[in-house]
Amino acid sequence: MVLNKRATAVLLAGLLSVTSQALLAAESVNFVSWGGSTQDAQKQAWADPFSKASGITVVQDGPTDYGKLKAMVESGNVQWDVVDVEADFALRAAAEGLLEPLDFKVIQRDKIDPRFVSDHGVGSFFFSFVLGYNEGKLGAGKPQDWSALFDTKTYPGKRALYKWPSPGVLELALLADGVPADKLYPLDLDRAFKKLDTIKKDIVWWGGGAQSQQLLASGEASMGQFWNGRIHALQEDGAPVGVSWKQNLVMADILVIPKGSKNKDAAMKFLANASSAKGQADFSNLTAYAPVNVDSVQRLDSVLAPNLPTAYAKDQITLDFAYWAKNGPAIATRWNEWLVK
Amino acid sequence: MKMTATASRPSTATGSATSAAGSAHGKASAIAQAPSFKQRWRGAGNLLPALLFLGLFFLAPLIGLLLRGVLEPTPGFGNYEQLFANSAYARVLLNTFSVAGLVTIFSLLLGFPLAWAITLVPRGWGRWILNIVLLSMWTSLLARTYSWLVLLQASGVINKTLMALGIIDQPLEMVHNLTGVVIGMSYIMIPFIVLPLQATMQAIDPMILQAGSICGASPWTNFFRVFLPLCRPGLASGGLMVFVMSLGYYVTPALLGGAQNMMLPEFIIQQVQSFLNWSLASAGAALLIAITLVLFYFYLKLQPESPVGASNAR
Repeated sequence: MVLNKRATAVLLAGLLSVTSQALLAAESVNFVSWGGSTQDAQKQAWADPFSKASGITVVQDGPTDYGKLKAMVESGNVQWDVVDVEADFALRAAAEGLLEPLDFKVIQRDKIDPRFVSDHGVGSFFFSFVLGYNEGKLGAGKPQDWSALFDTKTYPGKRALYKWPSPGVLELALLADGVPADKLYPLDLDRAFKKLDTIKKDIVWWGGGAQSQQLLASGEASMGQFWNGRIHALQEDGAPVGVSWKQNLVMADILVIPKGSKNKDAAMKFLANASSAKGQADFSNLTAYAPVNVDSVQRLDSVLAPNLPTAYAKDQITLDFAYWAKNGPAIATRWNEWLVK
Repeated sequence: MKMTATASRPSTATGSATSAAGSAHGKASAIAQAPSFKQRWRGAGNLLPALLFLGLFFLAPLIGLLLRGVLEPTPGFGNYEQLFANSAYARVLLNTFSVAGLVTIFSLLLGFPLAWAITLVPRGWGRWILNIVLLSMWTSLLARTYSWLVLLQASGVINKTLMALGIIDQPLEMVHNLTGVVIGMSYIMIPFIVLPLQATMQAIDPMILQAGSICGASPWTNFFRVFLPLCRPGLASGGLMVFVMSLGYYVTPALLGGAQNMMLPEFIIQQVQSFLNWSLASAGAALLIAITLVLFYFYLKLQPESPVGASNAR
């Protein structure tokens, strides 16, 4: 009898948990980003307040993997609802039909900086490639712009550059070679690689943020091209690291919804919240990356604000994501050829 | 996974029973005459679960992947043409092979004395050394690779020590190039040499070496003419394993190497993850598989007793 009661209780509890899980599953969003401090900040600034206000659970997953995203969409078993991707990929994936079109009745398009919004993606944040240098390694002379990277006499030491064939390295080489900012595109690849040839043996490549910080802080590289947030974090830690914002190159992360997402409506609501003035400002205050919402600027922490790309809009050059989305694979072939030559 | 496990259970039980009987029977008849085809394949039923598992979860997806290389974007060998027409990819291939070759040589040179030491020292000690080798294998690959970075970089422990001692004035460039990759990978591969080699050495009867010296062989002759040939199965299987594993290695070259030393796995990952060009990646993967198979064929040809055969003989 006692046993029987217990068994019923267990059964009931089991049933309850199953039904409650089913209810939860209907109201949840799988959010995928790159991990690390960035995703922690995304959770804190967007996911937690969003869950509290709407009752929709946000499940954190990651890291972003374009191959996985494509495989999910192709197989029709889409586990991811919101994915943080690079700007050029967002456009390429949209062209390949891998993304859901966004519902701009839910998301406020007119508040988003037009550089960072398209039919299939809304900005997650934007950042700048800046010229960072180790003050201990360089002495008195402070490098001003990208041409300093190619002046190994005045500024000895290794150069840390971003390893992947994606927007940034080729542009900075062309700028250093004297190409005016408004004449960058279409990229003159021959000229860019020729310029890079002059420092090829002095380059150390970094593939991720932590690696780039390690290279610069240890002095392994005396200067290089870095994500502005990573330089800021080093400075906060007291590392002898300087930065020049001249010709800072703007790149962005974009939030997208994979085609066939099972929680599309909840995902749209999540995007609306993440791209709101408050969501964007809160995230920026945590990371030193810049908000894509034009109304977020006045909400920024006054101490932090001078360290954000939004404060250096005058010296700014926005990388052409659309150009890269279209020509990326062809450029990569050339890039690989040049690398192993 | 679960399905195969339950499905396989009855067949394993019956299979092993027949094979036990079969091997006893086979031995008896082998003395009289070469075993017939039927006798040779007795017990093949044991293979069924493994074959089923491999077929379902390894071969089928693999074939699917390889088909992409010839079917997309248009049917034909366009991807392979692209791969071979471009000198850069030939260079990537060459990089892959030279790294794998160097790593194999270095890990053999380092692993051989280590395996020998484990065999020679008193038993308890040998077990301790072997445990240390195993422990290094179980530690996270990423952590170990990053540790090498700390040791080898310009401001790293080794360079600082050498400079403090006045041996060098300029830091040596030991990382973000071929040197770094070979050092890091050789270290990771040493256990894969030591384990088979140590097993082979353990099985060598010390009396044979004694007999050699009694017959008047100098220690050198004894080593090169008696000991080394006896170690050959261990050397060959360890070396092959390391070479093939090195061909497909990704993490360590990506962290310790420079971009100019790109190896085939890194190229494949770039195509899969960044450019979604799965057909070209598939062609690259097919190339890697084909090369490995060819190597394996030659290895079987050159090696009178296959590694499998050698371990059976023991």
